[in-house]
Amino acid sequence: MPDTPFWAVCLVVVPLFFAIICFVRSSLVTFLGPLAAWLNALAGLGMTLSFVHSGPLRYAIGGWQAPLGINFSIDGLSVLLVAMTAVTGLSVSMYAKGYFSLRIGSAGEINRHGHQRAYFWPVWLLLWAALNGLFLSADLFNIYVTLEIIGLAAVVLTALSGKPAARLAAMRYLLVSLLGSCCYLFGVALLYRSYGILDMTALSRLVSPAPLLWVSLALLTTGLLLKTALFPLHFWLPPAHANALAPVSAILSGLVVKASFYLILRLWGEVFAQVLPFAAYVLLGVLGCGAVLWGAVQALLQKRLKMLIAYSTVAQLGYLFIALPLIRLDPGPSAREAVILLIMAHACAKSAMFMAAGSIFLKAGHDRIDDLDGIKEVLPVSSFAFVLAGVSLMGFPPSGGFLGKWLLLGVSLASGQWWWGIMLVIGSLLAAGYVYRIACHLLVFKASFSSRRGSIPPVMEWPAVLLAVLAMILGLLAGYPLGLLEAGCPVPIHACLEVMP
Amino acid sequence: MTDAMGIFDIMLALVLPWLGWRLLASPNLFRAVVLFISLGLLMSLAWVRLHAPDVALAEAAIGAGLTGALFLSALRRLERLRDSERRLDYAEKREEEQNLPPEKRRKSKPVAYVLALFLLSVFLLLLGGALLKTPVAPGRLGPAVAGQMGQSGVQSRVTAVLLNFRGYDTLLEVMVLFLAALGVWSLTRVRQTPQEKVPGPVLATLVRLLVPLMITVAGYLVWIGSSRAGGAFQGGAVLAAAGVLLLLANVTVVRQIPSTLLRWALVLGPLLFLLSAVACMSIGGNLLEYPRQSAGSWILLIESATAVSIGVTLAALYAGGRPHEPAAREAIVDKSADTKVKNGEGA
Repeated sequence: MPDTPFWAVCLVVVPLFFAIICFVRSSLVTFLGPLAAWLNALAGLGMTLSFVHSGPLRYAIGGWQAPLGINFSIDGLSVLLVAMTAVTGLSVSMYAKGYFSLRIGSAGEINRHGHQRAYFWPVWLLLWAALNGLFLSADLFNIYVTLEIIGLAAVVLTALSGKPAARLAAMRYLLVSLLGSCCYLFGVALLYRSYGILDMTALSRLVSPAPLLWVSLALLTTGLLLKTALFPLHFWLPPAHANALAPVSAILSGLVVKASFYLILRLWGEVFAQVLPFAAYVLLGVLGCGAVLWGAVQALLQKRLKMLIAYSTVAQLGYLFIALPLIRLDPGPSAREAVILLIMAHACAKSAMFMAAGSIFLKAGHDRIDDLDGIKEVLPVSSFAFVLAGVSLMGFPPSGGFLGKWLLLGVSLASGQWWWGIMLVIGSLLAAGYVYRIACHLLVFKASFSSRRGSIPPVMEWPAVLLAVLAMILGLLAGYPLGLLEAGCPVPIHACLEVMP
Repeated sequence: MTDAMGIFDIMLALVLPWLGWRLLASPNLFRAVVLFISLGLLMSLAWVRLHAPDVALAEAAIGAGLTGALFLSALRRLERLRDSERRLDYAEKREEEQNLPPEKRRKSKPVAYVLALFLLSVFLLLLGGALLKTPVAPGRLGPAVAGQMGQSGVQSRVTAVLLNFRGYDTLLEVMVLFLAALGVWSLTRVRQTPQEKVPGPVLATLVRLLVPLMITVAGYLVWIGSSRAGGAFQGGAVLAAAGVLLLLANVTVVRQIPSTLLRWALVLGPLLFLLSAVACMSIGGNLLEYPRQSAGSWILLIESATAVSIGVTLAALYAGGRPHEPAAREAIVDKSADTKVKNGEGA
């Protein structure tokens, strides 16, 4: 059986290769795109299995060890996020296959949406490769390059819808994303100036409190916060996520914002955890509280379904930042485990919601919440998926969201900082409010619903159900992913030490 | 000599921010683009003074030359849009604004400027203070690169880092360029230039003389990259400039390039780079671990293919859209779906 490095390389190389082929042979895209998605998922699975078998390791690309070359650092966190991307990505890909066939087949002019499918697949595969590359890489500059691909691909996908609103949102997204990249790159350049090294593990041993470190960390974090859309830098997210095509919204909300948050978690939770003052964590936590409140209140006020889901993403991202001070306070691993669970549960639930919302949009021809009464009569499966994903967001047992919040609540009470716990509870209540608001309309009985379109194929309905169920039972299965996390203790790198003074 | 150079450096350091400020403050977009081009040229001079000839070449070719051309072509499109009737609302709004008395125009401007300046100066002060207080790191990677140069297969340290030690970064950067072309193609079609528009005799002669020369220079830059300043990005940029010239002259051959060929040319570099990276694994090394004896040839091969693709990509960006294709290729009809119901989400 192939070993971990083989799968790690596959996770980057296979989607890149298929992206290129999809572009050259765009007539075969309907076949090649889903094939690439299956291969990616297979690589993700292989990676997880061989990681369980052989544990964390480092892989030197080009045969050059850490300070000189770029290394993959494969530990529990990377593997979990790669696996999450594989599962979510595969489901979204299946959905996208049905989605584009349906739209291209039934649009008035045959060729009208043809180019959307032809460009969706290569761009999405590039995005997938960059996500995997980001999670695996140990090199701060290499991560910048992957962030650049992720940002650019996300913008292209947003603009793919062609609506003026989507293009405007994409333009704003592009500017924000570039500003974020600039900040990040500037921060990396300053770090390189003070420490002369780009490898994260090596860096974590060298750092000591210094004025320039604060400046570079401020720049790095600002750039990443812009990309993660933490309140009050979230202004670009709702229009971009709400106006994109349905599979694209699922990718953006489920996976893309997680990439930059993963990096914040790495930097604040591992690399610079020893030198950062607690007050900085509190600041991020407070912003997270703001996000939870603001996002949920805005979600309650929205009239359009997709807009509501997008604001819910803003709120849910807030939880991840509330967890940061708790990770710092927690002597054990439970806060860290909680944040991973929240990330995975949100990725599954939010993608499921956007996919179900996309089916509802296609069926009803609109997504005005007030006019969706009785859609469960014509779209029972998607409505079920939507509500189930919503319940997971609210944090009902046994969902992953529940377990994550429960662990965080425990940490906040144990550490004496109970106010974080109160914010978690308020956030869940508000989430229940907006989920209930939609559920009322979706699940109400109404004899006839005037749908604009024939049947929605099963391939568009079941991936959403699958992800929603996964989000729901994640709490029961939590032992497996958290076991992986335990296994991922930092890898010793002897090679770095050779060049150290 | 050193004094003269010192004075030159001080002038450069003063002129660069001033140009940048003028560029940002200019209300006229065309003027701003011209200022941008001159800023790029001066920046490349600054890179020369910083002993980074590779960056200087790239800055002059891409930062000043091609980006300037892209800006100019975008500006032309904007003007065309502004003139067309579809954007009447925009034109009206502009006119309205221009008819206002000067004291009423854009009231918030000074406040925003002052605030931005304040924040910027606070940041710069903090940054300057921090830079002064924190010592520069001892060179860790410099000696490491010098120590491994013999294994890299090339003589130029920049090329060794870009294509060998950190080749994976470059592989992904090439993908960024490919993605940029994909993005532009996904947005719009290329604008059809009228067939009868023939270049004037001066332009035609210029193209005939310059294009072969530029292709030669591009080849030379790629070749010399292994030992001195140069390489795939610089060579590709020169190739792209040749492409832009051909597009400007509206040469028939360029217009008739079949789109399949264009696509293959766009992906040649990324695909070859990726395949060689994997081929290294099949020989027995890690990803991108060239065999030590033939590393130089591998790098040259990758660089040549990449230069071609970079040139085509940048020229395609300038052309600004996907080529027209036979309609049949994009149409895949799904007969089972209801064809009577018109458009869904993207309406």
